[in-house]
Amino acid sequence: MLAPFPLSAEQLALRERQLDAAPLPEGVEVHFKPTKAAPANYVSHHDYVLADVSLLESGLQAQADGYDAVCIDTVSDSGVSALRSLLDIPVVGPGRSMYVMASILGRRFGIVTMWKQWFPLYERVLADIGLTERCAGIRSIDVIPDNRTLLAGKDHAMPLLLEAATALVEVDGADVICLGSTTMHEAHSYLQANLSVPVINPGPLSYFIAEALVALDLSQSKTAYPPPQVPKPDVLHAMLDAAATAEAELDAP
Amino acid sequence: MNRVLVLVPFALDDEGLARRSDQLLEVSLRPDVSYEFRPVKAGPTSFTSPHDWLLLDVALFEAGIGAEDEGFSAVVIDTVSDSGADALRSMLDIPVVAPGRASLIFSLALGRRFGITAQWEPALARYEKVLDEWGLRSRCAGVEHFDTPPDFSSLLTGKEAAILPKMEAACHRLIERGADVICLGSTTMHQAHAHLSSVLDVPVVNPGPLSYKLVETMLGLGLSHSRTAYPKPLVPKPHMLSAMLAAAADTESGSGAENG
Repeated sequence: MLAPFPLSAEQLALRERQLDAAPLPEGVEVHFKPTKAAPANYVSHHDYVLADVSLLESGLQAQADGYDAVCIDTVSDSGVSALRSLLDIPVVGPGRSMYVMASILGRRFGIVTMWKQWFPLYERVLADIGLTERCAGIRSIDVIPDNRTLLAGKDHAMPLLLEAATALVEVDGADVICLGSTTMHEAHSYLQANLSVPVINPGPLSYFIAEALVALDLSQSKTAYPPPQVPKPDVLHAMLDAAATAEAELDAP
Repeated sequence: MNRVLVLVPFALDDEGLARRSDQLLEVSLRPDVSYEFRPVKAGPTSFTSPHDWLLLDVALFEAGIGAEDEGFSAVVIDTVSDSGADALRSMLDIPVVAPGRASLIFSLALGRRFGITAQWEPALARYEKVLDEWGLRSRCAGVEHFDTPPDFSSLLTGKEAAILPKMEAACHRLIERGADVICLGSTTMHQAHAHLSSVLDVPVVNPGPLSYKLVETMLGLGLSHSRTAYPKPLVPKPHMLSAMLAAAADTESGSGAENG
């Protein structure tokens, strides 16, 4: 599971709590790995490019390291396409997995999220996989998210998320709710307990999809994600090492 | 132990059912979920016309309507036509997995455009219907049939040498038309999956086994279909369904006796 930011052990542990949402499939172990460097957040095309390259670098050795599948811990599915072009093992994007599952469970889904700045991330993946018309709406609560501490100290967000999700169902016509970020996983049980429609928690879903793909001996299509003629893993590693060094120098007193 | 009811769309004998349940051997499954295959009491003989589709909707609906009361944790429909699935979802709170829409939609997460293998020309109309209903036409590279009348009981058994090359050729036509994922157009094609996967460069989605893994995922995450999308009836009539299918089975066995 590639976490899309350089994180402290404590911050990584907050993401690892997604594993507690449901018992893992039999025989599955999930390891979380942070990136070496990252954009500060995911709100601009500047950020998207940095996110893609940092996640590609973080995951490109996964197959050689003996992993059976790679999941990305961001609903933006950043890095997924490039990783798919390099790896034969399944690369699971929680965004696309969630929209697929939502389309299997209902007719139209809604996405509830922290802030409007994330809307383009959803729109990109929906357009990419052809499910834009299945999305009844996206609503934000306009609470600035913290991609490291997640919802800690944000208890006030819970009723707002419920209000937004309710509006997606009652006003926009959604019959399934998707959480707009794996960082919102702490809100899942609260929302599911208070809503009459299914609520999908993208991180835990992605482990199940990964296990299913491995069990079915299925992976992404190499025709859809063709390998490069000249792979450049060393270049990517050097770039990210340099990025991490540049960040450290910037942070140094 | 979670018990899953798999509804088989034809009134098959034990041997025919066994060839269906062989799908379980094609994928590694959780040990704490068991699968029980149940045929319908009566149904259409072919599956090529709206007459047949409607009869199968009713037959599968009746076969699964009591699943929750019988203690099952989920229902799977053993046909890519997804017949009966919507009606069952309206009555049951346990997950009802429809492998047709599930495999097509799932393929969107694996590639850009899927192609569907169909048994023979008369089967094409049904795929046309599903593609429109699900708004998936823009992601479908095509539907190609391999010109072989279906055998819903023995499936491909004994005819592999004749049929597999034709299926392979249909897959290649789909790939030429731009498909980067192949969806088997029927759960009855499961015996061809291993061969096609081994000779094709694109993923081949096997709808039956996929539906079992989706059941595991839904049970594992506590997910089921949306009640808002599949509202309950104001007045459920399970007794009416039960009476209709009993009468259908009687009529079929009666006409069978006359013919025999």
